[in-house]
Amino acid sequence: MKKNDSRIYNPAVECMNRDELHKLQLARLQETVKLVYANVPVYRERMDAKGVKPDDIQSLKDIAKLPFTNKTDLRDQFPFGLLAAPKSEIVRIQGSSGTTGKPIVSGYTANDVEVWTEMVARALSAAGCSKDDIVQVTYGYGLFTGGLGAHQGATRIGAMTVPMSSGNTNRQLMMMHDLGVTMLCCTPSYAIYLGESLKELGYDLNEFQLKSGCFGAEPWTEEMREKLESLFDINAYNIYGLTEIAGPGVSYECPAKTGMHICEDHVIAEIIDPETGEPLPYGSSGELVFTTITKTGMPMIRYRTHDICILNEEPCSCGRTHIRMGRITGRTDDMLIIRGVNVFPSQIESVLLRVAGVAPHYMLIVDRVNSTDTLEVQVELTDEMFSDKVADIEHIRDEIKEQIKSVVGISAAVKLVPPKSIPRSEGKSKRTIDKRQLTE
Amino acid sequence: MFITQISVYLENVRGTLRSLTGILAAAGIDMLGLSVADTTNFGIARIVVREKDSSAAIDALTGAGYMAMKNLVLCAAVPNKPAGLDSVLAVVDEQNLFIEYMYSFNYSIEGNALMILRLTSKDMDNETIVKTLIENGVRLLSQEEVNAL
Repeated sequence: MKKNDSRIYNPAVECMNRDELHKLQLARLQETVKLVYANVPVYRERMDAKGVKPDDIQSLKDIAKLPFTNKTDLRDQFPFGLLAAPKSEIVRIQGSSGTTGKPIVSGYTANDVEVWTEMVARALSAAGCSKDDIVQVTYGYGLFTGGLGAHQGATRIGAMTVPMSSGNTNRQLMMMHDLGVTMLCCTPSYAIYLGESLKELGYDLNEFQLKSGCFGAEPWTEEMREKLESLFDINAYNIYGLTEIAGPGVSYECPAKTGMHICEDHVIAEIIDPETGEPLPYGSSGELVFTTITKTGMPMIRYRTHDICILNEEPCSCGRTHIRMGRITGRTDDMLIIRGVNVFPSQIESVLLRVAGVAPHYMLIVDRVNSTDTLEVQVELTDEMFSDKVADIEHIRDEIKEQIKSVVGISAAVKLVPPKSIPRSEGKSKRTIDKRQLTE
Repeated sequence: MFITQISVYLENVRGTLRSLTGILAAAGIDMLGLSVADTTNFGIARIVVREKDSSAAIDALTGAGYMAMKNLVLCAAVPNKPAGLDSVLAVVDEQNLFIEYMYSFNYSIEGNALMILRLTSKDMDNETIVKTLIENGVRLLSQEEVNAL
């Protein structure tokens, strides 16, 4: 593994004394609550319903008095109902998967883009990025926050940024080789695929300059880290984020590689019991909840991520004082992350309903073949879908495939299966089989 | 002049067709004709049985988990000599009919070979297609004639 030249991008903040940090957080939380109470009707109504006024937030603990926000709120208030700033102040829209056919979107003010950029700059610096580096961004560019997020962070640091976006493995490797790229940003599964392709295509690793990589947008494991580090001879770092809060960079790994530091000057993280909503102490496994305290476009109050992890407040050997979150060990809902894209079974259901006219029984089968996630959608044939003509059946199948691609954003293999061939489960119906081994 | 055909969806899995024939065998059903349309991912078995057997065949197959349904197709008697089929298809072509699929089966009647035809048209309904074929000299079998095979 190459020498580690990790650095701290903003030591004054990242290594801030925790008492000071708490004071900063409280002041910013109070501001944010005032802002949303004044400008976002949904937040005001919910706070009124709970009998909470902005002035009731007198300590960080008082955050528990505030109502939760859910992904369904972003859908119900789509597109601009949660804005706390006038539309004219919004300079960017980013989006991610909703639970139905429509994506959810988040509006960013210039301040919010700045906050997010700073977060990614911290993450990339922790992974060793400086202005002397050449950073290849292999996350998709577009509504998805991965590409633009990494791009902005690398540009902020002053690194030479190569906006490759996703796909085209041959070209990715050629540029990485020819430009002497030193850092790679992409999903860990695609990075492994790149690493394996590098060998298969006959490249000599010694001709590459790669020293580290920032990998995120999907859960991964220590085994995958070992594999990545040996495939490329690099340091592999985890990065986490979500569009609703900012994008990648909400938390990131330092060289200690023992959890991701949360940018606590920009967000307040809580762990709650997903059943009762009660806050849990640090060290307990539960659902991660974020409150943004510097965003002005679409601030999020106690946003439930549905990601399950633990928070660790133990001091870190790297010198950063911000708490660390462990790897995501599961979800409290049925969201899947496939090739870095968030997928909800309900999205597939909406496609089937539209294409097939009825909602047939279906099952999503996710697997990882040659380091690449695969999605197979098995759909039980209904009388309406079946025909004695091959072309009719192929048409239905292709239409489902095309609509999934358009709504969910990833290609799926669609397999039509006989009626009642998909096992029924008692009670809550099981819509997914995930064959990937991602939790240690 | 339509006859009943049974279409069955087949997954492209080893043993699917054998399982289908096993089910029909157990139900004592005599297949008069069979054709399998195959693609790389799935197949459709098209089966002609006598009318008395058709409901039992559907029940046996759906009971065993198959997607099966009845469709109406045409059964044409085709002169069993050179240009026999050509004379029938000439009518199909001249009348702007589309052949969705066709297959022959192992029975003959009055020295004619038998072909199953599934035809469609942009501007004719199924009844008109039948009428047009007959007017142009195509001999179509009735369900009763098929039952008597």
